[in-house]
Amino acid sequence: MTKFKAGLEIHQRLSGTKLFCSCPASASDSKSESQVLHRYLHAVKSELGAHDKAAEFEQSKSLPFTYIVPSDTACLVECDEEPPHPFSPGALFATLEVCSALKSTVMDEVWVMRKNVIDGSNTSGFQRTAVVGLGGSIETSKGVVGIQSVCLEEESAGIASEAGPAGRQFRLDRLGIPLIEIATAPDIVDFEHAKEVAYKLGMLLRMNPSVMRGIGTIRQDLNVSIEGGTRIEIKGAQELDLIPQYVQNEVARQSALLEIIGKLKASFPDGDVELGKPVDLSGLLKSTECKIIRKALDSNGKAYGIRVPRHNGLLGLEVSPGRRYGSEVSDYAKQAGVRGIIHSDEDLKKYSFTPAEVSAIVHELQINNNDAFIIVADEAARCLKALDFAAARLRMLYVPEETRKANPDATSSFMRPLPTSARMYPETDVPPFRVTGELLSQAGDKAAGGLPEAVLERLKKSLNEELAMKIFRSEHLKLFEELVAKGHDPATAAVSLEDTLVTLRREGLDVSDPTNSIVPALEAYKDGRIAKSAIPDLARGLCAGMDVQKAIVSKGLEKISGKNLDSVVMAQNFDVGAIMRKYRLNVEYSELEEALKRLKK
Amino acid sequence: MYKGTAKARFDASGIEAGDTIRVSKASQQYTGILMPRPGIGDPSCAILKLKTGYNIGIEITKETLIELVSKGEPAKIPDAQAASPAEAAPAAGFVSFIGCGGTIASKIDYRLGAVNPAITAGELVSSFPEVARITPIRSKMLFSVFSEDMNAYHWQQIAYDIEDQVKDGAEGIVLMHGTDTMGYSAAAISLMVQNPQVPIVFVGAQRSSDRGSSDNRVNVMCATRAAKSDIANVSLCMHGSSSDDYCYLLPGTNVRKMHTSRRDAFQSINRPPLARIDYPSGRISQVSQYARTRKQNAGMMKIAPDMNQNVALVYTYPGIKPDIFNSLSNYDGVVIAGTGLGHVPTNANSDPYSTSVMSAIKSLVDSNVIVAMAPQTIFGRINMNIYTAGRMLLDIGVIGNGCDWTPDMAFVKLMWSLGQVRGHAKAKALMLENVAGEISERIELEQ
Repeated sequence: MTKFKAGLEIHQRLSGTKLFCSCPASASDSKSESQVLHRYLHAVKSELGAHDKAAEFEQSKSLPFTYIVPSDTACLVECDEEPPHPFSPGALFATLEVCSALKSTVMDEVWVMRKNVIDGSNTSGFQRTAVVGLGGSIETSKGVVGIQSVCLEEESAGIASEAGPAGRQFRLDRLGIPLIEIATAPDIVDFEHAKEVAYKLGMLLRMNPSVMRGIGTIRQDLNVSIEGGTRIEIKGAQELDLIPQYVQNEVARQSALLEIIGKLKASFPDGDVELGKPVDLSGLLKSTECKIIRKALDSNGKAYGIRVPRHNGLLGLEVSPGRRYGSEVSDYAKQAGVRGIIHSDEDLKKYSFTPAEVSAIVHELQINNNDAFIIVADEAARCLKALDFAAARLRMLYVPEETRKANPDATSSFMRPLPTSARMYPETDVPPFRVTGELLSQAGDKAAGGLPEAVLERLKKSLNEELAMKIFRSEHLKLFEELVAKGHDPATAAVSLEDTLVTLRREGLDVSDPTNSIVPALEAYKDGRIAKSAIPDLARGLCAGMDVQKAIVSKGLEKISGKNLDSVVMAQNFDVGAIMRKYRLNVEYSELEEALKRLKK
Repeated sequence: MYKGTAKARFDASGIEAGDTIRVSKASQQYTGILMPRPGIGDPSCAILKLKTGYNIGIEITKETLIELVSKGEPAKIPDAQAASPAEAAPAAGFVSFIGCGGTIASKIDYRLGAVNPAITAGELVSSFPEVARITPIRSKMLFSVFSEDMNAYHWQQIAYDIEDQVKDGAEGIVLMHGTDTMGYSAAAISLMVQNPQVPIVFVGAQRSSDRGSSDNRVNVMCATRAAKSDIANVSLCMHGSSSDDYCYLLPGTNVRKMHTSRRDAFQSINRPPLARIDYPSGRISQVSQYARTRKQNAGMMKIAPDMNQNVALVYTYPGIKPDIFNSLSNYDGVVIAGTGLGHVPTNANSDPYSTSVMSAIKSLVDSNVIVAMAPQTIFGRINMNIYTAGRMLLDIGVIGNGCDWTPDMAFVKLMWSLGQVRGHAKAKALMLENVAGEISERIELEQ
């Protein structure tokens, strides 16, 4: 197996308020009245006169960004119309707790920095981020994994595809939500280990009550490099189970690229991949049936091709399952806005090219046996830009440092160049936070109770092993602990939150907010208004919009106990079977047993 | 500045800001560049910039292990505080950019985390390439002052410099200014530079220019358009909304900062904007009747910078005590920002709990202090004919009846009137004369 280095970065959203203002940190987008803002972001000169390459890359587009501003989840701070407020103390404290759990050394003074980002995802043109802890470690089955840093930063704006031109529209609901970022050292030893580390860190975070729960509230990024290759960041590896695959595929991709590079270095001994100039093929292909080219030509676009010398067979080499060297080049070309490229290693028949057209292309581009070609069709300026980007990638006789997007099939695609040294400078609008020894020990005490091992132990005291594990992994863990603290029976609460909710969800009911359905049903049980067996039915009634009393009455769930129960026992002649058949939902079995015993005497 | 133990330890090891040092804490080691400390936070914590770019703060005690790894380059102290002479006049048809403070353009020194002004013509052009495409420019730093620290002295310097620039052939003037008191400066220059033969445009930025989101770019581009236009007024150019779609050119006599932080903080009071300037097209539209053309003003430009700064502006409020007015007896002029149509507590109905300040104000007027009324509602016209309180104020000689000026403009104008002419009566008359459009008979209904 190829030797590799891998590390993990976890971003976890916190609930409560946003990091630098008092807007609510909401798990889902608002449905309230919204306004729209149009803004431009531009690169700022640095002392050296050079702009950040990533920033320049973004600024080459000249349309404004559109921001949807919902009135209940965004205020003037998100609109970049008011300076940030001081750190949310709750978010900072939660971060201190996480540092304690990870044995990470907390800084004496926490300084917020501005990290320049002008792709539109931050209205201010930067992300506010601070290092809270450095160092630390977690235990895993395959040894200790080091923690490099624990940071507290703001979440970026969410993409809103409905608002305007592609890539330029955002919603401000989630901008400013606190994110805890945990970055591990590259101590991951094998593919499965990566999953274990992600799982353990995820569990540790979930133990903290301030953590936001639900889909998309935790994100995993992977850093992978192999010898001879380079460090790649893969963003958004959502599925825990796919993590080993992402790492494996990236290792394989870099290995495959290195092989291709080896071949290319032999073909181009001076290291200079000289490509042909873009040639206008529109005339040649004016009657083509190739859909992509047809579409472009019919809307006043063009088709351009370039000769890629000595690449015959290389573009088609697979580097990841379902992806070829050509796909890598295509990723770069697409940054210009084109939908993709056509290259000669593909089966050109599938594009409906005629053999005559292919000949003509080969002739026009002066392709000989060893060469390959690339064709792009779109509006003329975009074509040339796309070929420019493609050529830039083709000239890289090394594995380029990239930030890549995780694809659902466990491969990845190029997103943008890895930023050079982080363009950061102090956020002078937010005073530094002095962490005192007292605050640290408070956080430490709280964290100790929240460590996964401690939580699991606590759960096992009141639940059987299976239920304990279910609740431990559940998104309702915090709710469960609150209910138990209020005096609810742990087993009943656990079964209701896990099994019953799932059943109701499968029936098509909306159980997204358990406090509207299961919790009132549990309370009715605790208050003695219904029997335990009636909990699911009562919850069903609540999901349908009824209030507790109405649901109890209309579904016939009134509890029969005391003298009424005695009457029933007598009337049914002590026939337990009959009683339970008729009054299953209204009678508490334990009370029935007791009544039988008492009355038989 | 580092203090106490931290300072002592650094001094002892010959360590200065900019040096790379290694600090050990709790069996962890941190290597980074020592940053200078700003005036906030705990001066006993060392600020280190790590290789990742992040700053961290580590407390330095007697026991902390500190090691100098390498000396750094001395920090370049920007000498932007000094005024710079004007560069040689460029091609004809140039716009003169005059720096009065506020950083309309800056450069970031990531190494030290400093933000330095970028104010020479060359720097402005490279920060705002769109400007160079519209016009040749000439740039100078007149002075660099936080605008809350400005006063009549600075306004006079601006007026004299405008005169020089116009003499040198400037086709338009753009004044880069801090936003806090930019409205006051615009009011002052409206009086000090009358019938300007070129557009004189104040511009600033609500978001500091080191940010990618700064409103500087849009504002400067629109201000440049205005400076090249045929709107020969003293004006102020800032965002017209929270979006980057357009700016308003607002009349210098009637403009005020109406929000602490929004991009569209500046509003026109009692007047429509002079014009709307779209971004990025630069198209000018909705030009108001108050706009003057270069032709209309040709040959009529007058510089009148003299001011008497011995004027106070007082905001009245329920329960204000007479002694505040008594304390102003050494002033030559007092502007009262009165309530409603121009009122102060007069206790006209002899309420046992209310106190009138009338006799205190009368004492001021009788001792030849000019007392003028302006509205603390900001918007609207003073009318002291309607209610008893107003009539009483008229009786004792408070002036300003019928004026639709803002308290800011009334204050600036009273200083100016007292500085322009000799004699109490002449100053009062000048105060009530419409010099540059600051007093108007008509206020239109705005949408």
